[in-house]
Amino acid sequence: MSTGVVSTARLKALLQAGVELELSTIPPYLCALYSLRPMTNAEASLVIRSVVVEEMLHMVLAANVLNAIGGEPHVADGHAPRYPHELPTGVVLHLLPFSREAVDTFLKVENPAHPHRALEADHPLLAGRNHQRHRARCLDVDEGFHPASIGDFYHEVIRELEAAAADIGERTLFCGDPTRQVTRDYYYAAGGRSILVGDLDSARAALNEIVEQGEGDMGAMFDDDGDLAHYYRFQQLRDGRSYRRSDDAGAPTGPPVEVDYDAVYPMIANPRSEEYRVPGLQAAAAGANRTWSELLLQLDAAFNGRPAALLPAVHSMFKLRDQSLVLLANPMPDHPGRNAGPTFEWDPSARAELGMRL
Amino acid sequence: MASGTFYDAVIVGAGISGALIAGELSRAGKRVLILEAGPAGDMDTETYDSYLTRFYATAAKDNQSPFPPSDNAPMPRSKDVHPIGGAHPDASAYIVQNGPFATDSTYTRVLGGTTLHWEGKTLRMLPEDFETHTRYGQGRDWPIGYADLEPFYREAEREIGVSADVEDQAYLGISFPPGYVYPMRGLPLSYLDKVVASDVDGMPVELGGERYDLRVRPFPQGRNGIPNPKYDGGKGYRPVGAVSTSQVEEGGRCQGNNNCVPLCPVQAKYNALKTLTRALQTGLVDILPQTVASKVHVDHGGRVSHIEYKTYHAPDSKDHTTGTVRGQLYVLSANAIENARLLLASGLTGTSGLVGRNLMDHAYLLAWGLLPEIAGTFRGTICTGGITDLRGGAFRRDQAGFAVDIHNDGWGWATGSPWSDVLSIVDDHNKFGAELRRALVARISHQLLLAFMVEVPPSTGNRVTVSADYRDQLGNMRPVVTYSVPDYTMRGVVYARELSRRIFQRTGTADHTWYDPEDYGYVTYEGQGFAIRGGNHLGGTHVMGTSARDSVVDANQRSWDHENLYLVGGGSMASIGTSNITLTIAALCIKSARHMVAQLRREAAVAEVATH
Repeated sequence: MSTGVVSTARLKALLQAGVELELSTIPPYLCALYSLRPMTNAEASLVIRSVVVEEMLHMVLAANVLNAIGGEPHVADGHAPRYPHELPTGVVLHLLPFSREAVDTFLKVENPAHPHRALEADHPLLAGRNHQRHRARCLDVDEGFHPASIGDFYHEVIRELEAAAADIGERTLFCGDPTRQVTRDYYYAAGGRSILVGDLDSARAALNEIVEQGEGDMGAMFDDDGDLAHYYRFQQLRDGRSYRRSDDAGAPTGPPVEVDYDAVYPMIANPRSEEYRVPGLQAAAAGANRTWSELLLQLDAAFNGRPAALLPAVHSMFKLRDQSLVLLANPMPDHPGRNAGPTFEWDPSARAELGMRL
Repeated sequence: MASGTFYDAVIVGAGISGALIAGELSRAGKRVLILEAGPAGDMDTETYDSYLTRFYATAAKDNQSPFPPSDNAPMPRSKDVHPIGGAHPDASAYIVQNGPFATDSTYTRVLGGTTLHWEGKTLRMLPEDFETHTRYGQGRDWPIGYADLEPFYREAEREIGVSADVEDQAYLGISFPPGYVYPMRGLPLSYLDKVVASDVDGMPVELGGERYDLRVRPFPQGRNGIPNPKYDGGKGYRPVGAVSTSQVEEGGRCQGNNNCVPLCPVQAKYNALKTLTRALQTGLVDILPQTVASKVHVDHGGRVSHIEYKTYHAPDSKDHTTGTVRGQLYVLSANAIENARLLLASGLTGTSGLVGRNLMDHAYLLAWGLLPEIAGTFRGTICTGGITDLRGGAFRRDQAGFAVDIHNDGWGWATGSPWSDVLSIVDDHNKFGAELRRALVARISHQLLLAFMVEVPPSTGNRVTVSADYRDQLGNMRPVVTYSVPDYTMRGVVYARELSRRIFQRTGTADHTWYDPEDYGYVTYEGQGFAIRGGNHLGGTHVMGTSARDSVVDANQRSWDHENLYLVGGGSMASIGTSNITLTIAALCIKSARHMVAQLRREAAVAEVATH
């Protein structure tokens, strides 16, 4: 709700929180995706992958809006997410292998109305590994702002943008350098198209795209392009059945979707690299964290005037996948029945080394 | 398929030609039945993933390795080809090789056809390729020219989803309408391409009295890249992704996987399943899988009356049922060899006697060596760039033109790298562990392989025939191929080898090329020997022309002899020039489909009058 007092500082804080919010959803999706054993769960892999690339798009869109109003989107250093991670809706993101519980969390992430039961600390999947949770930044933008959903959060941003534009003028508000926008030339992915933001209309389009791809637009499962909203894609995994365009929400009647929850590497919940005692696992985790941190630095550079940094970031993403798979395929000797996994921890030394090359 | 249904069109073969025509006809409201020889899984990721799994698990990773073999619809495989020895012909594999040249060309008999393993290069033919006889006294002229096909090239580029930049592709007369851009921007050259280009760009060559300055040029590719926002008058282009039941994939982009031939792991590479999926959405297309067309029947008026088929019950069992299907039009789109085989097995040799003749396929000459520097070989899709300056020119009076591919998969095609390197480093150099890894990387990252795709002109002696002596498990006659590499082509081959030496010299490459006289593709010409490979670019067997006397089909790929029969695909091509043939096939089929719709409307109108 607008207070009447225009503050682009608050807008910038909200949009920075938005960038971090989108980023924070990516590691949990990647853990689920990479934990699928090779050659299994083809549909699940497609669904999760299709969602995670759209989350990447959402981060880019939020960054474009922030850049358009003269902000500086950041994702490295203290902006890197930590897990477990509490979202504004109260849902807690854990780093978990693909599982019914993980799918249920994803449903809740995408739709606040989803009846979701938080994992108890003694749930076998967590096994007490319910470390101290980190709160999403958008919970701390200001007191009194408690978005009930990600959609609510962005609707608040749009309202604030409109109020600011009315107050100081659209031109003055959108004072950002257009060369800082991430264009389609650099956003190389299958998760939809980057939108260049330079005025209120394009900002609305960018933020509405985030909301539509996630929850669906006012209950419409499919968008104009025939894309199913994330929430319903995950329902297909939960229910083992795909949606046809004519289906009602909650009642898919399409061909079955085969899901095999046993064909998964049993990754330990919320892994931390300091817990890896075997030298091989330590080295693998350090390598994966280095790559993750390099990736964040490349994104940070791309959002701050060097969009071409997204091209080498593609290589970093492949490297991160390969390093994550090494961890996932290896059992942890001190946790029988559990495998290691990527820890997604910020490596402060990455900046010194990569900074030279960026 | 509803039993007894009369279809507007019965199509034989669900490759790119059949899929495109089914799509065009069904979107015009016509009912279509496709007979497909291969098994048809559901159009979902499961079938595709089963191909990937089979490919990953197979030791011999040839083009057919992802696909389940069946003796009911056998597929030629490169690994089945042997030198043709004393026993003529060699009938040990599906294609009966009558020689003297043993072809290792393949085609894939599954839903989606050979586009499941194609390389994805989408070169347009040169304007001069349509009139080689007039211009150079070689080969045959087409009844249509580049300008006639140009609008359909653009439609084919949309359907396939081509990534390229017009600036790179406008050469040797290839022209585009003003303002045209490809659906997606060009894919980048690989690092290896750039290493070669640093020495080759600007290299002068004198040939046929003309001077050419060579350059490494990116190839247009049927794989998803960055959509060009200027496409379609600023509407842009939406890449088509994996074929999937849940339809969640929004056009996965090329990730540079090195095993994109045979199979792209992310379906960024076009395959005809994408076109077929869209055709099926009309609700007017039926597919009859595991069904091999066995005979085309013609009535007294010369019209096709019905097609007889055999549907096998399981890939590994010869149990089958026989049936017939009827339609207003019939379309054979089963590739150049299978189309000819089916026609000849049906006794339809044609007025011209040219059915099965003029079989063409590019002759590939490989040359390989080690670059002096690490060139990043094995990164990127199979081929991203090459030299195309010698595709056309006055020299074609005397010798064949060619395009040169720089292979990002190193010596793979010639020697079986990288697997052969592992064996050699382990067995011959006794390396293991970290040393083996280092030695392997050191060896393959210097590898350079140039593949010269040499033009083969039509020749009536190169042909497909059938014989009652050679039948497959279902009793269908197998194709018998009689083939020799024309001298015109061999002169191009000799020149290609010479040019490879000069390129190696310029790039400081140590030449490791060696042609084994025992190789099944070994051909000698003027005292030199070369190992020639097939290109899977099969054409010519129902050649297009201007009259029934000297050709099999007209400019719309309609049979001169049977007014309701279309023979489509590479077989209609009067020359194959120096472009991989799929894009041209697609353009021809889109053109033909429009003609079919018009013919159906015309015949329906006539029938209407007749009943009143």
